[in-house]
Amino acid sequence: MAGADALQAGAEAPSPCRFVLAQVTGPLDVAIPAAILLLILVACFGLPAAVGLPSPVGGSVLEANLPPFSARHLLGTDLNGNDVLSRIVHGGQASIAIAVSVNVIGLLLGGTIGAVSGYLGRFVDALIMRVLDVFIAFPSLVLVLAVAQGLGGGVLNTIWSLSLFSVPAFARVARSATLRVRGQAFVTSAELSGGGPSRNVLRHVAPNIAPQLITFALLGVGVVMVIEGGLSFLGFGIEAPRPSWGNMIAQGQQGLFTRPSLVLLPSSMLFLTVLSCNLLGEALRRRWSAR
Amino acid sequence: MTGIRAGSNRGGRGDRTQDGRVWTLWSTRPRLPHCVAVSLVLRRLATAVPVILGVSLLTFWILNLMPGNTALSLLGADATAAQVAQLEAELGLDRPAIERYLEWLGGLFKGDLGRSLASGQPVSSMIAERSAVTLELVMLAVVLSTTLAVGMALLAARRPGKTADRVGAVMGMIGISTPSYVLAIVLVLAFAVNARLFPSIGFVPIEESALGNLRSLTLPTIALAMPYFGVCSRFVRGDLVEQMESYGYITTARAKGLGSWNVLLRHALPNSLVGLVTVIGLNLGPLIGGTVIVEQIFALPGLGSLLLQAVNVRDAAVVQGIVLVMAVVTLLATLCVDLLYMLLDPRIRYGRR
Amino acid sequence: MTEGWQTLKRIELPDCVPRRRVDRPPPERKRVALPPLLEIRDLSIRFQSGPRTDVAVNGLSYRLNEGRSLAIVGESGAGKSVSCRALLGLLPRNAVVSGSARFRGIELLELTEAEMRSYRGGKIAMVFQDPDDALNPTMRVGKQISEAVRLHTGVGTRAASHQAIELLRSLKMPAPEDQIHAYPHELSGGMRQRVMLAIALAGNPKLLIADESTRALDVTTQAQIVRLIEESQRQRGMAVILISHDLRLAGSFADDILVMCAGSALEYASTPELLERPRTPYTKALLNAIPSVDGPRQRDRGIVWRDELAYGIRVSASGCPFEPRCPIATSACLKEQPPLVEEGFGHHWACWNA
Repeated sequence: MAGADALQAGAEAPSPCRFVLAQVTGPLDVAIPAAILLLILVACFGLPAAVGLPSPVGGSVLEANLPPFSARHLLGTDLNGNDVLSRIVHGGQASIAIAVSVNVIGLLLGGTIGAVSGYLGRFVDALIMRVLDVFIAFPSLVLVLAVAQGLGGGVLNTIWSLSLFSVPAFARVARSATLRVRGQAFVTSAELSGGGPSRNVLRHVAPNIAPQLITFALLGVGVVMVIEGGLSFLGFGIEAPRPSWGNMIAQGQQGLFTRPSLVLLPSSMLFLTVLSCNLLGEALRRRWSAR
Repeated sequence: MTGIRAGSNRGGRGDRTQDGRVWTLWSTRPRLPHCVAVSLVLRRLATAVPVILGVSLLTFWILNLMPGNTALSLLGADATAAQVAQLEAELGLDRPAIERYLEWLGGLFKGDLGRSLASGQPVSSMIAERSAVTLELVMLAVVLSTTLAVGMALLAARRPGKTADRVGAVMGMIGISTPSYVLAIVLVLAFAVNARLFPSIGFVPIEESALGNLRSLTLPTIALAMPYFGVCSRFVRGDLVEQMESYGYITTARAKGLGSWNVLLRHALPNSLVGLVTVIGLNLGPLIGGTVIVEQIFALPGLGSLLLQAVNVRDAAVVQGIVLVMAVVTLLATLCVDLLYMLLDPRIRYGRR
Repeated sequence: MTEGWQTLKRIELPDCVPRRRVDRPPPERKRVALPPLLEIRDLSIRFQSGPRTDVAVNGLSYRLNEGRSLAIVGESGAGKSVSCRALLGLLPRNAVVSGSARFRGIELLELTEAEMRSYRGGKIAMVFQDPDDALNPTMRVGKQISEAVRLHTGVGTRAASHQAIELLRSLKMPAPEDQIHAYPHELSGGMRQRVMLAIALAGNPKLLIADESTRALDVTTQAQIVRLIEESQRQRGMAVILISHDLRLAGSFADDILVMCAGSALEYASTPELLERPRTPYTKALLNAIPSVDGPRQRDRGIVWRDELAYGIRVSASGCPFEPRCPIATSACLKEQPPLVEEGFGHHWACWNA
């Protein structure tokens, strides 16, 4: 029949542009950001161990303001004489470590609270929701600021203060995901077949809300890194002279017009890391919700 | 063709049909009685009250955990213990926490937020002075982000998968990945060459010069609005494209013979507005938080920079006051969003029969 | 059908087949052959997403004359809706259409978007199935109807509202003056279908396509809507294409029936002819599926059914589409698709073994 010929003719090869585009929306949309993140991780955590870098603090003023590609200083030194590359790498360590730990805490603690709240429902749920509402009502930076300046600076304190912001956010997401899962038939049948609530939550609810929480955590790494950067920028959070991308940007402001690289380098690293986290989180979310 | 009369110009309240019945063109359907609608609103407000109380409690509690001693930092590091104790007594910092909290709470009902520990000025007047700047900044940021986001989304949804769509996706991604402080500094760097176009610091009040006012707020607004724009744009684009692709009423509208722009503007966009309003409201919190950094960088005399100053001198009263005000404003924004949602979506307004 | 007239014979219909309404006057006989209103020839539609090609319609051909009604019947996924959406250009972007579809001599598939827009609603109108979202949920129904009226007649807002009310009244909606201010979710399914019908009729089209428009309704309302369509057809001299999976409904309404399976037309005849003398096993299966009041018929038209039902419609480039489920399939059926053959009285069917 005439129609059959039309069908045969349809299987042409797509044009090269279309092919590349199809790849980017294929598995590559997960691979590229993941590769970038891996690179950054290796650079920040592996480089100081592998290559002997000068210390990020305690440089002498005599060596200040060396340009890039000088001896021993690949990216030059900053206004205090510290090696820029070393500071970026160590600053990355701090920022990434904080962001990841905050999100892990948020995922575990906040996820549990939210799941329990959504699962138990009724009075417990209403109570927990009100408490969460109180936390969420604060603009993020403001809450963190208030707590951070009370607790002081340093990595550990920053982690606690950022967790105060992260746990309620995870709790809310976990709760809404749990509510959606709860209405489904398999949960009811699991309840009917016995088993306590804790077992049900672990075995039935958790695997179903996990993808959503994990993608939220990935996006959250970017968010927390930005907030921590802001905190350090303002002088709270990680305090000088220890480097963090945020306080490097703040310090670099002084030499903004003479040596813009002091600001642009940590900014680009921050931007790149956050962008890759967001791209990866988005790609995973698309992949997992399409299922 | 029987049964269809071409509409003739009849005018007047009641038009008569052929059989003499009078009918009107506006609705005589039973609506929700007013008291029911108002009670819905009141019920929503009532759930906000315990949250506000909780917010005040949390604010007070956090700020009075401060290990740093306010009196000590005010007097300087070399003050004697006696001087510190005396200042504390003066400022009333030696009373038990509960008593101070209740006193503060009582003051709140009268609109009195206490007095600054550093300068003695009433906190409420300090806040009132500074809030105009922050308010203008936030409003400009919201207006800029929303119009850009909606405009871009319309262009993207018109031809999904083509240039406008991809550009919008990229800009949205960049938007949410760029912190405001980074963008602020980059903007300052970029415009420093031509300092006459936009000032890198300083604020011109609107009474002095409207144009100067806008100029001084341009860079801060762009820096503040970028992440907000990213979030809004991603949502609206996704929602609009989803409406156009997978909702039946769009096909009905196209089958009527409407052109793409008309379908977008008159059918898809109003249905997206509901979601857009929610997104705008829910992200207002981070936007307000962002004013802290942006005002600092551009030296704008707003609430954010006041907060920073107060935090640096550990002026608990001022910090409490500002944090409370910001939290309450964010809460009210969420409330307004809920109410607007009720207004915009007729399914919620009229309920299902 | 090749001629614009048909011979009306006194045919003894078996009990399970619903009679046609006798109060309906027979279509006019014309000695001169009229040009058909709609002529589809070899229409093929496939969807291309990346390397995947899904064939929805495969070589469909039929004709429809002015004022006549055609029912396209088949299971879900048989390509019925897709073929009609192609006429109005309402397919998604990845659809590839080939073949010819002529409406009063104009080739619809070659029109630009702007030209197509002048056809939509004004000359060819479509009524959709309405689960919940075929009407804009945030716009009052009266406004949706008057929008269509204003598009096609260009009258002012007030006059358009009047016309909307009159349209609804002619479609037997109670208290239309109040209902035009309602939102779609406040109306019942039958009311919403009347609104959709009003929107479609607002432009006074020459062809109305009803795309499974009674699927989501209960049986009584279904009958009401179909009667309304029939009445509008009679009043306006419209041609109607009724797409349905319900052969009984089709039989009670249409002049001709086209049976589709997996994108191809398997049988095409006038209604009494098809119902009395089905030729292909597929049509016989569909007829058998109509439950009868007397209980299962033992005199079964001589077919023994295979128990398993092969779900999933395979559209193959070669072979008959019904082959996986056909009880009398042979190897010839697997190799090559049978052509549509005409036998007397304009009865077309496609089967190697019938």
